[in-house]
Amino acid sequence: MWNYEKRLQFPVNIKETCPKTASLIISQFGGPDGELAASMRYLSQRYSMPCKEVGGLLTDIGTEELGHLEMICSIIYQLTKNLTIEQAKTAGFDAYYIDHTTALWPMAAGGVPFNACEFQSKGDAITDLIEDLAAEQKARTTYDNLIRIIPNPDVREPLKFLREREIVHFQRFGEALENIKSNLNPKNFYYYNPEFDKQFVKSTMQ
Amino acid sequence: MADQKALLKQITEVSFTVNDLTLYLDTHPVDENALTAFKQAMEQRKQLLKTYAENFEPLTINCVCPDTNNKTETNTKYAGQKHFTWVDGPLPWEGGNL
Repeated sequence: MWNYEKRLQFPVNIKETCPKTASLIISQFGGPDGELAASMRYLSQRYSMPCKEVGGLLTDIGTEELGHLEMICSIIYQLTKNLTIEQAKTAGFDAYYIDHTTALWPMAAGGVPFNACEFQSKGDAITDLIEDLAAEQKARTTYDNLIRIIPNPDVREPLKFLREREIVHFQRFGEALENIKSNLNPKNFYYYNPEFDKQFVKSTMQ
Repeated sequence: MADQKALLKQITEVSFTVNDLTLYLDTHPVDENALTAFKQAMEQRKQLLKTYAENFEPLTINCVCPDTNNKTETNTKYAGQKHFTWVDGPLPWEGGNL
């Protein structure tokens, strides 16, 4: 169950229209390391996670990612809401304009539509948490790349905030992985899959 | 009269504290300093959300109270009329409204 809170996690107030910038930032909406993939990854993985503290963390980070998705969409929306027909012809936004006008549709900067293959829910706690750690780093690199080429401070400030959150989430997932490992056979973490071979799972994990 | 912009900024800041402490406490559930900071931030957030909803639009469904919300009748189509105050205020993605 979710409830909506009628505010952004971090303010987005962009004064200048720039469809080119929007066409790059859209990758963090529907791209391979974007916020939609992030939230769906964590919110899908959590059900079979053997340790309830880790299931709780996946819920809370997955929920925050939905707030990040909203921030990214707000940035794109504000960069294009006053678009003129001349600006719509800007290279990089013209093709998008034909299919979606100025509405939001999840895709990568390269034009590839959002696809669930951009994340994995593997059903093995070690595998999934290492995927989550990598996902946070990939998103951090994407924000690094965006911040490096976007000069407008109105756009940079929310991107800098989002980049910092990737680092915090990485830290928390690292702690979650250590938590899982502390409940496994210390001589062989791969002796069994804690999400499947339930007869081996210690009661402390549940 | 309460300054809407300043109040919203305070809500954003204290809510961020709550959010970041939530993730920390998920992996450190018995950290006493974090628990104290969480309690303080939650109390502050609750009070700020209440003050904001009394003066302006409610930000959460739990703050909706048509009899007491939006005393200043800011950003509403239904000034002077009893109405569902959840529809008041700007949409968050519009930006620059405050």
